[in-house]
Amino acid sequence: MKSTKRKVLSFALTIAGLVLLFLLAVNTGGLKVGFRELLEGLFVSYNENVATIYDLRFPRIFIAMLGGAALAVSGVLLQAVMKNPLADPGIIGISSGASLTAVFMTAFFPSLYFITPMFAFLGGIAACIIVYSLSWKEGLQPLRMILVGVAVNAVFTGLMSAFNSATGSEYSGAASIVNANISLKTWDDVQMLVGYVAAGLILAVLVLRLCNLLALEDRTVRSLGVDVTGARTGVSLIAVMLASISTAVIGTISFLALIVPHIARILVGSDHKVLIPYSAVLGAFVLLLADTVGRVVAAPYEISSSVILSCVGGPFFIFLLRRAQKTYGG
Amino acid sequence: MEDKYVYHVEDLDFAYGKHKVLDKISFTIAPGRITTLIGANGCGKSTLFYLLTKNLRPDGGALMFRGRELGSIRLRDFAKEAAIVHQYNVAPADISVEKLVGYGRSPYHSMGRTKDPDIDEEKIRWAMETTNVFKYRDRPMGELSGGQKQRVWLAMALAQDTKILFLDEPTTYLDIRYQLQILKLTRRLNREFGITVIMVLHDLNQALYYSDEILAMKDGKITAQGAPGEVVTEQVLKEVYEVDLRLGEMDGKPFLLPV
Repeated sequence: MKSTKRKVLSFALTIAGLVLLFLLAVNTGGLKVGFRELLEGLFVSYNENVATIYDLRFPRIFIAMLGGAALAVSGVLLQAVMKNPLADPGIIGISSGASLTAVFMTAFFPSLYFITPMFAFLGGIAACIIVYSLSWKEGLQPLRMILVGVAVNAVFTGLMSAFNSATGSEYSGAASIVNANISLKTWDDVQMLVGYVAAGLILAVLVLRLCNLLALEDRTVRSLGVDVTGARTGVSLIAVMLASISTAVIGTISFLALIVPHIARILVGSDHKVLIPYSAVLGAFVLLLADTVGRVVAAPYEISSSVILSCVGGPFFIFLLRRAQKTYGG
Repeated sequence: MEDKYVYHVEDLDFAYGKHKVLDKISFTIAPGRITTLIGANGCGKSTLFYLLTKNLRPDGGALMFRGRELGSIRLRDFAKEAAIVHQYNVAPADISVEKLVGYGRSPYHSMGRTKDPDIDEEKIRWAMETTNVFKYRDRPMGELSGGQKQRVWLAMALAQDTKILFLDEPTTYLDIRYQLQILKLTRRLNREFGITVIMVLHDLNQALYYSDEILAMKDGKITAQGAPGEVVTEQVLKEVYEVDLRLGEMDGKPFLLPV
């Protein structure tokens, strides 16, 4: 068991890091304002620079944080359900199922914008059902599930790219989902995301005991009076919901839901009571970091956070796997 | 209707697809005793174990648990009546013994909330003390030996506070010292606390020595049931295992020469 001191320290440092990063992100780009000027501009008197930052940078910062938190928790839940540290909504096709429906909705029914996450959710559930049913053979087979997921993901991603190319990328909203671009987000997007993400995170906290129990053998969980299939279905739904709503707004982001829970487990241990809230904070930090780095590294051009995460996340994941075998084994 | 038996089974059938595993078997299990299922590999004893513990559903026949159809009892209610230690178990390496034993209280919680923390604490402590794991209650599971882990799983089952305890080959993977530790503990639970024990054992001598009742199976049928000294004979063993085995006697109980 990780010591309480270590857990508290991890929490405190990550939250402090998130706050610092937030201030840094606010001040990264063409416009720069002092901290004092920023606070005054926000709460006291009108300041043109601050107003511009408020309209342009704040939404994307909040969206990155909300999306990162949602994705990280989604990863934790999926990994608990599948007893598989490789489960990631991006890798097994849930995110691409969600974004495919989100792309269609944005393209054909732009007026239904505010319920796009609901449709994305349906797409995510469909992808999840396909993956589960194809990998079901006397129970969920972890490896089979990853393989099927990779294939399902390829099909959905292919369909999405095809749609995007066939329409000459004229649906900019759809294209931004395909490319996981969060540069053009507004306060409307934040408003939409915040409700869904909050609901998802609250549900995740409600099932944390079930997640802990699911780490045991299925038969043992049953012997404790818990309907394993029901628990799996419920927790999966919450995971799919969190992944889908974030995908609907920010697009498909791989590796985050894989890396963040891994680091979190190393730092705070496998108890979901701590793991779920900590992953949410760390996920917010990581996606905001990726987005901010993407804005800086090749300015004035931007690299999308999903690209940054793939470049850094892939190798980092391999490194983590090698290191974490002891921590995670058994 | 209350039944004097814990289990009352009649004409129980079970098949995996077309492959018939249990063929109209009937038996009863009395409370307060240690009953052991024995038989060669593939005789159906594991299947029967899973049927009795609600991990499988019967295809036909009556499977009564304390006078009620077992299938009609909710999983959670069953978990308050019978605890099961399965043969193979895993836990996160970093979970503490006390926390894991605490999971045994799950059937009494609703929405993850305990109704009575004092009772929980008392039962968890009793379970850890009885199984002798109390002294390392703060240690993570990953640091324990096989014998210690098995006692923790037993403690988790005891924390369920049930009158019936199922054990599926509880001594597998353990060396002889820990095997005896577990079996003696099992007997103590039965004698001292009146817990009905139903188990599957591979080691025949241990089955003969520690059981009040033997249920011998062969090809999906029950060949013999009763006290070890009465029903286990060289003929029965030949029938069940299809080899010649010699029996001796010690402490008024039969023992087997494993040659």
